[in-house]
Amino acid sequence: MPKTEKVTRRQFIKSSIGAATAFTIVPRHVLGGPNHTPPSETFGGALIGCGGRGNGTFNAMGLEAKKLAICDVKFVGREDNKTIYRDFRRVLERKDIDVVAIATPPHWHALISIAAMEAGKDVLCEKPMTRFIAEGRAVAEAEKRYKRIFQVGTFGRFGRSRDPRSIEIHKIMASGLLKNNCKGVHIKSGGLKVKEWSGMVNAKPQPVPKSLDWDMYCGPSPLRPYHPHRHGGTHRGYWDYEGGGLADMGQHHYDPVQWVYAKDDTSPVEIEAYAPPAHQEACGMWGWVELKYADGMTFVFDSREWGEPYNRKQAREVLLSDLSEEDRKKIKDMPDPEPLVSFAEAVKTRKRAGGNADAANRSATLMHLANIAIRTGRKLRYDPVKEQIVGDEEANRLVNQPMRAPWHL
Amino acid sequence: MARRSSALSELIGRLPDPDQRGLLSNIDKETVDNVISRLLEGGRRSLRALIDMLVEPGRGDDVKARYALHCLAVHVCKLDDERIRRAFGRTLASQLGGDRPKAVQKYLIRQLQVAGGEEVAGALGKMLEDEELFESAAQALVAIGNGAAEQLRNALPGAKGKTKLTIIQNLGVFKDTESVSALQNALDDDDREVRLAAGWSLANIGDAGSADLLLKAADAEGTYERVKAAKACLLLAERLLKEGKKDKAVKIYKHLQSTRSGSDEAYICDVANESLAATAK
Repeated sequence: MPKTEKVTRRQFIKSSIGAATAFTIVPRHVLGGPNHTPPSETFGGALIGCGGRGNGTFNAMGLEAKKLAICDVKFVGREDNKTIYRDFRRVLERKDIDVVAIATPPHWHALISIAAMEAGKDVLCEKPMTRFIAEGRAVAEAEKRYKRIFQVGTFGRFGRSRDPRSIEIHKIMASGLLKNNCKGVHIKSGGLKVKEWSGMVNAKPQPVPKSLDWDMYCGPSPLRPYHPHRHGGTHRGYWDYEGGGLADMGQHHYDPVQWVYAKDDTSPVEIEAYAPPAHQEACGMWGWVELKYADGMTFVFDSREWGEPYNRKQAREVLLSDLSEEDRKKIKDMPDPEPLVSFAEAVKTRKRAGGNADAANRSATLMHLANIAIRTGRKLRYDPVKEQIVGDEEANRLVNQPMRAPWHL
Repeated sequence: MARRSSALSELIGRLPDPDQRGLLSNIDKETVDNVISRLLEGGRRSLRALIDMLVEPGRGDDVKARYALHCLAVHVCKLDDERIRRAFGRTLASQLGGDRPKAVQKYLIRQLQVAGGEEVAGALGKMLEDEELFESAAQALVAIGNGAAEQLRNALPGAKGKTKLTIIQNLGVFKDTESVSALQNALDDDDREVRLAAGWSLANIGDAGSADLLLKAADAEGTYERVKAAKACLLLAERLLKEGKKDKAVKIYKHLQSTRSGSDEAYICDVANESLAATAK
C-alpha cells in the first residue's frame, strides 16, 4: 500500500500510543464527536460472498467500514485482485482490511471465518453459522486462540436481552434453581420454509457458467455436477451447502430463545424427529423435531408443512411461580445480566460480541441436531460437553463431516 | 449383474415422484418405510438388482432407485444388527472397481460413507488409486475411521497431485503417528498446498520432533503460507502442552514472539505472549 493512503486502524492505534504522551491538545477530528468519525473508528472492510445477503451483512457490521474488497466465486474474468477477488485467501492477505463480512453459502462460513481470524481480522458471519457441528467448535477455538471478534449475522438476542420478561426467565434459568425440573416448552410453529428451501431430486447436470468457479464454489463439500439450483440462494435446499429451511431460518428464531433460556453454553441431550426418510442430497419434508435439555427444557420445531402437527406437549413459559418463595426472592435479588455487546462495540473495545462463536455454535447446533435426527430417522442422545452423539457412530458421521482437500478445520 | 425383476420395478415405483419443481414434497412415510423393508427382505439379490438400476446423471431416470438405496443405507444403521449392516456394505463394496460408470460407483461409495464400516476399508483403499473416485473414497474412509489410516498410508507412496494432497491431509485428520516421516518429507514438496497440509498434519499429530521444521516453515514470506504455518505452530504447541512437553511448546511460542514483531502480526505475538505467561504459572 502506498504511504500516502489512509492510515489503518492498527497503524493508528500503534502510533497513537506514542503520540498520546506527546500531545496534550488533540484535534476533534481525532477524538471524534458528533458528526465526526475519528481515524481509530474507521475500518478497512471486505465482503466475501456477494449474493443476495452480501450488502445487508456488510452493513450489519454497524461500523464506519470502507469496503476495500469484494470477493465471490462468480467473479471469474472480473477479478483484478485489487478490489474484486474470486479467491478469499487473496483478500485475507491484505493488511489494510480489519473486518470481514461473510455472506457465502454456509458450507464456506466456518472455513472463511477461521481463516480470517487466523489472519487477524474480525468477522461478522451470516447465519447459519455453520454446515455441521464440528465446524462451530473450530470457529470458537479460532476466536479464542486469536482473540478476534466473531458475531453471527442474527441479532434477535440483542432485543430479547433488553426485554424485562425475557430477562426474568433468563435469570431463573441461569440461577440453576429449577435443577432438573424445568417444565418450559418452547415451540416454533411454521415459518421454517421447508418446501420453499427443499432441493431438487431430479436435477440434470448442466454446463458450468463461464463466470463461475464451480470447483471453488463446492470448496470443502463434495464436487457435484453443476446445476443452477445448487447455486444462488436455492443452495439452501442441499445438504452439501446448508440444511434446508430449518437450518436457514432456525438460527434466526432459536438464537434469541437460547439466550432467554440461558443455554448459550450447552445443548440438548435428547433429540427426536418425525419425518419421512430423507434424501441423500436434497433437503426435504419433515414434520417436527423435539429437542430436550438435561434440565427438562424442551425446544420444538413444528414445520406445519408435512404430516400431523406436533401435539406431544403444550408450549409453556418458565415462570417465577415454578420456584419456591425463598428461591423467588433469590431471583429478585439477582443482578440483571450484562448488556450484550454489539459487533461494532466489540471491535472497538475488544469485548466479546453478544452473538459470539460459542453462543452461535450452540444455536447452530440445535438445527444441526434436528437435521441429523431427520436424516438418520433415529432418536439421538447428545453429549453437550464432548459435542458428540452418544452410542451412534453413523450419526456422528454427520457431526463432523469430511472435507475435500485442501480444506480442513 | 443381477436381472431386474418386474416385481422390483413395481416396488420401487411406489416411491414418491418428484413434484413439478423436482422436490419430494408429496411423500408418505409409511409407503417409503414399507418399500425399504421389502427391499431388505430381498437380501443381496434385491440389493444387486437395485444397484443395476443406477445410471450416470443425465443418462436416464434413476431418481427412485437412488432414493431407495440411500434409505436402505440409513435403515441398516437403525437395525442394531451389525451382520445386516456389514452385509449391505460388502455388497456395495463388491461393485466397486468394475465396469459400472464412475458416477454410479461414486454414489455407492457415498452410501458406504453412510453405512460402511471397517469391512469395506480395503475396497475403498483401492479406490484411492482411481483419479475419479479417490476423493469420494477418502471421504468415506475418513467418515468410517476404523481401518482407514492404514489404507491412506499404503496409498501414499504412489499418490500424486490432488490424491497426494488428500491423503496427506487425512493422515493428519487421523493423527497417524506412523506417517510422521512421510509427512516431514512432504514439507519440502514443490506443491504449496501439499507443504501446508503436511505442516498441519504434523501439528495435529503433535509430533515434537517436527517442531523445528514447522518453525522454519513459519518463517516463510508468502503471506497466506506464513499465516497457515503460524497456525500449525500454535496447534503443535497446544498439543505438546497437553502432553506435558512444556519446553518444546515454549520454544515455539518464543519463536513466534520474536518473529511476529510487526504491527500487522501483533495479534500472533499477543497469542505467544499470553501462552508463555500461562505456561509460566
